[in-house]
Amino acid sequence: MMSRRRKHSIIDLMVEYMEDFKIWAEERIESAIAQRPSWNTRACCLEPLCNVFVAIDEVVVTADLPNTNPESVKVKAASEDLIEIRADMKRKMRFDDFGITHRKGEFSSFRCQVRIPVPVDTKRMQIDFKRGILEIRLPRKKDYATKVE
Amino acid sequence: MSKPVRIIEKKPIPSNAIVIKGLPDVGLVGLIATAHTVSQLNLQEIAYVDSNLLPPIVVLHNGLPHSPLRIFANKDLIAVISEMPIPADAVQPITQALVDWVQSKKAKITISIGGMPVPDRQNIKEPKVFGAASDVSVLKMLQEKGLNILREGYMVGPQALVMRYCAEKNLPAVALLAQSFQNYPDPEAAAAAIKELTNITELKIDVSQLLEKGEEIRLKARDLMKRTRQEMNRMKKSQEYDLPLYV
Repeated sequence: MMSRRRKHSIIDLMVEYMEDFKIWAEERIESAIAQRPSWNTRACCLEPLCNVFVAIDEVVVTADLPNTNPESVKVKAASEDLIEIRADMKRKMRFDDFGITHRKGEFSSFRCQVRIPVPVDTKRMQIDFKRGILEIRLPRKKDYATKVE
Repeated sequence: MSKPVRIIEKKPIPSNAIVIKGLPDVGLVGLIATAHTVSQLNLQEIAYVDSNLLPPIVVLHNGLPHSPLRIFANKDLIAVISEMPIPADAVQPITQALVDWVQSKKAKITISIGGMPVPDRQNIKEPKVFGAASDVSVLKMLQEKGLNILREGYMVGPQALVMRYCAEKNLPAVALLAQSFQNYPDPEAAAAAIKELTNITELKIDVSQLLEKGEEIRLKARDLMKRTRQEMNRMKKSQEYDLPLYV
């Protein structure tokens, strides 16, 4: 996947590696996620669409949470690299609401866990919720930087 | 040997019609906008696309099987929608077949509706819509209608190829791209695109229901968005963020 090409600067090379890695990681995560349903009738929850963007100084996690009460949105750092998102729906959804009559079950919340691919400071995370989109900003830890000779 | 992509006509096809295309892409903008148009104008299914390049999928509606890639119409308008993402490998032959078919039906103009990803979409109250054209006269028409023109940049995916093939065949074509979420269904962006569609055509399409049902659409479109995202990654859709080099 990562073909090393001649580059003029180490920055170009790092940017290319990061881009390749991002595509590779996203493809693997997406294919793993696509193998299972986005709903769980036992837990009565739906899995929201999420996105992780690794920027130079922070990681931005977003989640699409339509039909939710903003006050019910809860974000927790389950571990140093795992963020847990929960939110209650304003109105319960049933399979019937999706036009599906051959399954039974209802959903009252969104729940998911998001793996953070680089070290972050979860204690300094900032949370915003706008237009049904949850945005979590996690500053990246600086102590892993290597000095370029 | 049979063709890899066949368009099966079930009813007479109108000629000199406007063609709109809404294939799953960024924010599902084109699909949501086109599906809403089909519903609002009560368009009837007139044809479908069959191809061994597509996964073995049928969509059940009211207990009956349908092709996920279908064509609807009334006497003035033809709408192409897909209820599944077009696999990256199949985008080229399917787009080519659709453009050939549109040419054979002597369509007035082809309008591809899609999204233009913006990273801070949640901070934008009213998404802007940008247009691109297949030739100078269409571009002039868009400018006269007051549309924001996409002057430089990359387009990736089905609407990019529709534009390219239409330009090659001298067929008038427009891409309408609304600022949208890249990976989340965006009914507001779809509504903005429809408003521009009505601006550049004489179509009358009410978007109030679409906006009212926005949250419901976002819930229902999650799985399709997830699968579309996989195909967008394969198409290297993120290249639309790239800064182009023009010399």
